[in-house]
Amino acid sequence: MVDYKLLVPQFLLAGLAFGLLALDLVLPPARRRYIAYLGALGLVGIVLSTISLRGQEAALYGGLFLIDNYALFFQGLFLVMGAVILLAAEDHVRKFLGHAGEYYGLVVVAVLAMTVMTSAGELLTAYIALELLSFTFYVLSAYATRDLRSNEAGVKYILLGAFSSALLLYGISLIYGATGTTYFRGIAGAVGGTLSPGLLLGLVLLIAGFAFKAAAVPFHMWAPDVYEGAPLPTTAYLSVAAKAAVFGLLLRLFSQGLLPAIEVWRWVIVALAAASITVGNLVAIPQTNIKRLLAYSSIGQAGYLLVGLAALSPQAVSGVLVHLAGYAATNLLAFTAVIAYYNETGHEQIEDFAGAAERAPYLALLLTIAMFSLAGLPFFAGFTTKFYLFTAAAQEGLLWLVGLAAAMSVVSLYYYLMVIKQMYIHPSRHSPRLRPGFVLTGVLGVLAFAVVAIGVYPGPLVRFIETASKGLFS
Amino acid sequence: MNVGLEHYLALSAVLLTIGLYGALAKRNAVAILMAIEIMLNAANVAFVAFSRYVTPQLLTGQVFAMFVITVAAAEAAVGLALVLAIYRSRRTVDATQVDMLKG
Repeated sequence: MVDYKLLVPQFLLAGLAFGLLALDLVLPPARRRYIAYLGALGLVGIVLSTISLRGQEAALYGGLFLIDNYALFFQGLFLVMGAVILLAAEDHVRKFLGHAGEYYGLVVVAVLAMTVMTSAGELLTAYIALELLSFTFYVLSAYATRDLRSNEAGVKYILLGAFSSALLLYGISLIYGATGTTYFRGIAGAVGGTLSPGLLLGLVLLIAGFAFKAAAVPFHMWAPDVYEGAPLPTTAYLSVAAKAAVFGLLLRLFSQGLLPAIEVWRWVIVALAAASITVGNLVAIPQTNIKRLLAYSSIGQAGYLLVGLAALSPQAVSGVLVHLAGYAATNLLAFTAVIAYYNETGHEQIEDFAGAAERAPYLALLLTIAMFSLAGLPFFAGFTTKFYLFTAAAQEGLLWLVGLAAAMSVVSLYYYLMVIKQMYIHPSRHSPRLRPGFVLTGVLGVLAFAVVAIGVYPGPLVRFIETASKGLFS
Repeated sequence: MNVGLEHYLALSAVLLTIGLYGALAKRNAVAILMAIEIMLNAANVAFVAFSRYVTPQLLTGQVFAMFVITVAAAEAAVGLALVLAIYRSRRTVDATQVDMLKG
């Protein structure tokens, strides 16, 4: 008998998504902004029901769907991210996009897909949730129907995304054929120290498919184009939420299903991590568009997260989770500041940020905080979480990889500082002051507080995450 | 001659190869979508064959194939809608000519 109480957040999310879609039909255009506020309120309400489930351990539908602290941590993270995106997107959607209710509804559908991904205990459930997430993002990327670049981003994303999904699916079929099961724990039982050729090929295809979804080098080609072409709120969402969901699924799959064969696949993940860290951070340097800069920076961040996946100890999983939480707050802060600036000016080139410190001192300050945190300077989330993640990876003997990651973090400071230099040193070519809306200002303040709070006092977050990741290995 | 697991897997591998070739070599966006559908069906053949020969008492593979068919339909719907949107604005579905964004 399935205990439906444990699925309340998922039911509420589905209801909320369709409710927002329906509201779009009945509300007059002038009031559609309230759909976003209502959606954010709904998501925050669902966080309460997620919190009430903490400490529960259950395997629903015969182990297809797992509820544990690990899944609930991600659920909370995705719900909060969704609420932030709704509030940050509202102004932008009203000014530049049509069909507001559908946009917000799709954002909530993506939250639902991500919560299922991190709860999946079996490959079919994981695959369906991953496809739901991908389809949502294909549509969200192409949402600015009047913008040719957005159309192009959508088509590129679906062609490459569907191709990688097909490879992933073929990999799953080979793993199923070799082990006779699709349950993560069943795969662990069938996987020994040596793998059959079929299983090995399946594993390679599986890793390639997921690497594509996480935008890891050499499967990253789509990311800069899609990030640049997609509407800004979509890019923000894609860069944090989709990445977090893929890593949430990967960590569970690898720790519960593929841990016995760690010696076989570890070097593949290490290679992906090293390539992502190096390419992401080096190619970010010559970028002139802020979205492309943040795209390459997020490829580098995917590399840091892969370091944790390659280590795969309870400590390293905690490191990945802590870094994901800090990265989510930081990147959302950076993107929300860029959205606020773009809403007022319509510019997204880095040189257009010249003089931002005079025109919008608050935005410039918060964007500076976000850039320092992304680069990993002390007192901000980026430093604390990276330190925790790299320490855990070093304990597993991945010293040279950690050294490379630390060195590339220093390199990354250069291109983040270039943005700050534009804002504070170069004179403005336009004079009027910018006044971002009340809601955006509030969201920015909360995110900046989160970035600093995680940076100076990460204790409570780390303690909860450690209980969550221990459960994964029991 | 008995038809066994290896025959089905050979068919699946051939389908996958055709799909891979089409997806990588074609320039028409609709043709690429069709090639991807062939790849998905290659996986379906493998799923059903494994279900029959590896786990005859369980239906896991067949259920998987049913879901994949549904996903493939959704993918065609979203994919064609996006291609149609780009055709309306640019009058082309040639993937090499859609290149405003440089990667």
